[in-house]
Amino acid sequence: MTNLELGFWSFPVLLLMIFLRAPIGLAMLLCGFGGWYFAMGGNPTPLLAKLKSETYTTFSSYSLSIIPMFLLMGQFATLSGMSTALFKAAESFLGHRRGGVAMAAVGACAGFGAICGSSLATAATMSKVALPELRRYGYSGGFSTATLAAGGTLGILIPPSVILVIYAILTEQNIAKLFLAAFIPGILAALGYIITISIYVRLNPNSAGTRPAVPMGERFKALANTWPVLVIFVVVVGGIYLGWFTPTEGSAIGAAGTGLAALLSGSLNWSLLRESLLGTAKTTGMIFFIVLGAGFYNGFLALSGVPQFMSDWVVGQGYSPWLVLTIILVFYLIFGCLMDSLSMILLTVPIFFPVISAMDFGMSTEHVAIWFGILVLIVVEVGLITPPVGMNLFIINSMDRETPMTETYKAVMYFVGSDIVRVIILVMFPAITLFLLPG
Amino acid sequence: MHRLIQFLARFTAVIGGLVLVVLILMTTLSIIGRTANKVLHNEFFQTQLNGLSQALLDLGIGEINGNYELLEAGIAFAIFSFLPICQFYGAHASVDIFTSVLSRRANRWIAAFWELILTAVIILIVWRLFEGMQRYIGNGETTLFLQFPVWWAYAASFAAGIISCIVAAYCAVVRVIEAATDANILPSEQGAH
Amino acid sequence: QDVTLRMHQFLPPQANVPKQVLDVWADKVQADSGDRIKVERYPSMQLGGKPPELMDQAIDGVADIVWTVVGYTPGRYPSTEVFELPFMVNDARAASSAYWQMFEKHMKDGEFKDVHILGTWVHGPGLLHTNKEVRTPADMQGLKIRGGSRLVNQLLETTGATPVGMPVPAIPEGLSKGVIDGTTIPWEVTPALKVSELVKNHTEFTGSALYTLTFVLAMNKDKYESLPDDLKKVIDDNSGHEFSVFAGGTQADADGPAREIAVGLNNNIVTLSDAETQVWRDAAQPIYASWIADMDSKGIDGQALIDEARGLMDAYGK
Ligand code: NA
Ligand code: NA
Repeated sequence: MTNLELGFWSFPVLLLMIFLRAPIGLAMLLCGFGGWYFAMGGNPTPLLAKLKSETYTTFSSYSLSIIPMFLLMGQFATLSGMSTALFKAAESFLGHRRGGVAMAAVGACAGFGAICGSSLATAATMSKVALPELRRYGYSGGFSTATLAAGGTLGILIPPSVILVIYAILTEQNIAKLFLAAFIPGILAALGYIITISIYVRLNPNSAGTRPAVPMGERFKALANTWPVLVIFVVVVGGIYLGWFTPTEGSAIGAAGTGLAALLSGSLNWSLLRESLLGTAKTTGMIFFIVLGAGFYNGFLALSGVPQFMSDWVVGQGYSPWLVLTIILVFYLIFGCLMDSLSMILLTVPIFFPVISAMDFGMSTEHVAIWFGILVLIVVEVGLITPPVGMNLFIINSMDRETPMTETYKAVMYFVGSDIVRVIILVMFPAITLFLLPG
Repeated sequence: MHRLIQFLARFTAVIGGLVLVVLILMTTLSIIGRTANKVLHNEFFQTQLNGLSQALLDLGIGEINGNYELLEAGIAFAIFSFLPICQFYGAHASVDIFTSVLSRRANRWIAAFWELILTAVIILIVWRLFEGMQRYIGNGETTLFLQFPVWWAYAASFAAGIISCIVAAYCAVVRVIEAATDANILPSEQGAH
Repeated sequence: QDVTLRMHQFLPPQANVPKQVLDVWADKVQADSGDRIKVERYPSMQLGGKPPELMDQAIDGVADIVWTVVGYTPGRYPSTEVFELPFMVNDARAASSAYWQMFEKHMKDGEFKDVHILGTWVHGPGLLHTNKEVRTPADMQGLKIRGGSRLVNQLLETTGATPVGMPVPAIPEGLSKGVIDGTTIPWEVTPALKVSELVKNHTEFTGSALYTLTFVLAMNKDKYESLPDDLKKVIDDNSGHEFSVFAGGTQADADGPAREIAVGLNNNIVTLSDAETQVWRDAAQPIYASWIADMDSKGIDGQALIDEARGLMDAYGK
């Protein structure tokens, strides 16, 4: 078997292992091990040698250390009461409208997304605050959980974003520029969800109750309480963009700042700190194990020549770049129903990115890379809320045991629809994504 | 035994988490120092407050030397420290949609099977990490700025790796027992991010 | 073909060294072997790992051939640092020639005994690119400069500058955002990093360069030994002294066009006279002293290496 054949055979083997419930990082690691072993003609020495240092160097990555820092930042932000303050502010402005409490939940998710790099953390945190309120004002179960699951994806769509960091590292793009490019699409996502909510309550009038408006003075008072969120977002994302510090340094400042806010709010005791650290530890360990597996597997794929072959083949077919892009995005949407977003990015970007880079979209290669990154980010995040396997759906449903999963599935399709409309718009008008980028 | 392993996994994760906190503080202080250093060097301070700014600069106000290297060594230790708790709580991401059609018992055996493989892989990784450390002990390689021997960082990660092996081995045995007796002993969180 | 050699390195394929040195070498080896050898090229660390691991990848056979910066593994190949000392090297060809001769004499069966070295060279003169004019070591006071190597960082500290560690690709952003005030780098690398657009001052030295980095092209020993004699000969004929001088010279020749970019932008290129450079050489003396002491502690006669390197570089081309 040639190395190229070996590379192609590894795909079905990998998928089989994953569908047989192998931990995803383990499945990639095993395929990587096997690939290196067979590609070296059955000689285990190079593989064993690689293992001497590659685990350590993967884990000791300066750029990847941004991930545990952003995760801890999200934990501290919850402890410091920022999630509550955000929801209260949004709710005081929007709560009296039809579907207003749900809109407020989306708004608060967007705000929290600005200081949290993870979708699940955003979904879980905002659910703690917003679910009881939604139910109190008579919002139906499925509608409430679907709103929060969709809102949670704003945690990654609005910078900072763990997935964008991984994409930036895989494709050697500038993290700061990717964050900047994600900004308008992130805002559009929030607006899209709010429009979706207003459509939903018109079509399902019994799904939401109403409540009287809050006086203006109180609204602004509630808004004023969200200032720490604003300060941290401006310092972290602004500072990264303006180059006051590297993205990793920015994440450290963000974590230190939210930690300080949690300390000052008086809610940071030892046992809560310990739980924050343990929560960060579990997610970080899981992410890095996948990153490790992907590193080995992608190294083997490069060795096999599959990415080069694929990109040459697609270019050779003379398909229109837009058709290729559409096929790739649809592929992500379908696979997103089954897989988690990080593994999808790590598995597919090394293969798809060379294909897209080789095509002419009438833009500079850097702009194509950034634009494609944002599109991929959005479609893999849709995977978090598409049935049957949608991590955000699971998380929220586990926090609201009274609502059957099927109710959540039904309501969330409206939000998936909004996501698809947004992807189409962003594909058709790359300028929306690239608008904030310099030159 | 169960309590002991649970304690070990959580304790290791908390130590790693505290190292993460220290790295966050170090990085933040380094940026503050760098900014202060820049301010003290600007025209106003250099001409009007020369004595003061020079005194502060002489105190060594500035970027923490080699913070980049300390961050890399520290974060590797932290990540290795986070593996045991992932193992213990079954927090590794997996896709269970296709196996959900099978019986609960079959799923338990599947889980036990992968846990065994995972344990073998973790032991392999940590064994190779040890070999990597041995190599660096022998060859005198140091870091660029602080010039501390590279093997120190490997040794710290290896220590955490040993705990991973212990916890992984325990979890593998317990998952097999769970499958054999159809009982719940370990948590299964199946995390994602 | 009979033999496939996997060549792994850290730069993208279109960069100077991969394109003008490594590809040329690989194509020549393929042609000379009558296509019995195929060199597969893996740029940008595609096979995994980080650049400091390249040397071990060649030793262990993860890759068959690697190109790497020796300084990525500080402390492992101390003798090569003689060419990285500040104000040691003047001409890349002379230094690459001396480097190969000293490699054969002192390092082949010592520091590099685990690997088969195909070439040893240095890049063209390293210089300073800064956001304010620098003429004397005193001008460096308080500047944050990205240094190229362990010894350059020491020199920067001696002058009162702050050495900043950052990977080469991070330099443009560091310069444009003021995270660093300048960088040390040879001219050749400046176009890719847009250095001349980002800073307006360049300080060149006369008689000897601020610094150089040492490179090696290294092959897995077993892989080399496993080749049949005629293919070994193809590798041998394309390796060694001549190739080293070619590689160093090619890198240095790329300096000229890159410098023209800065000239075209009307940048302030300060070329210090021999006397002005002498002030810098004097400032660098403590680094020589500490390096020699450091080498002594490793049982290597540092002064002898310095003298030998100087002698060989002076003799080059005469
Ligand atoms: Na975010
Ligand atoms: Na999904």
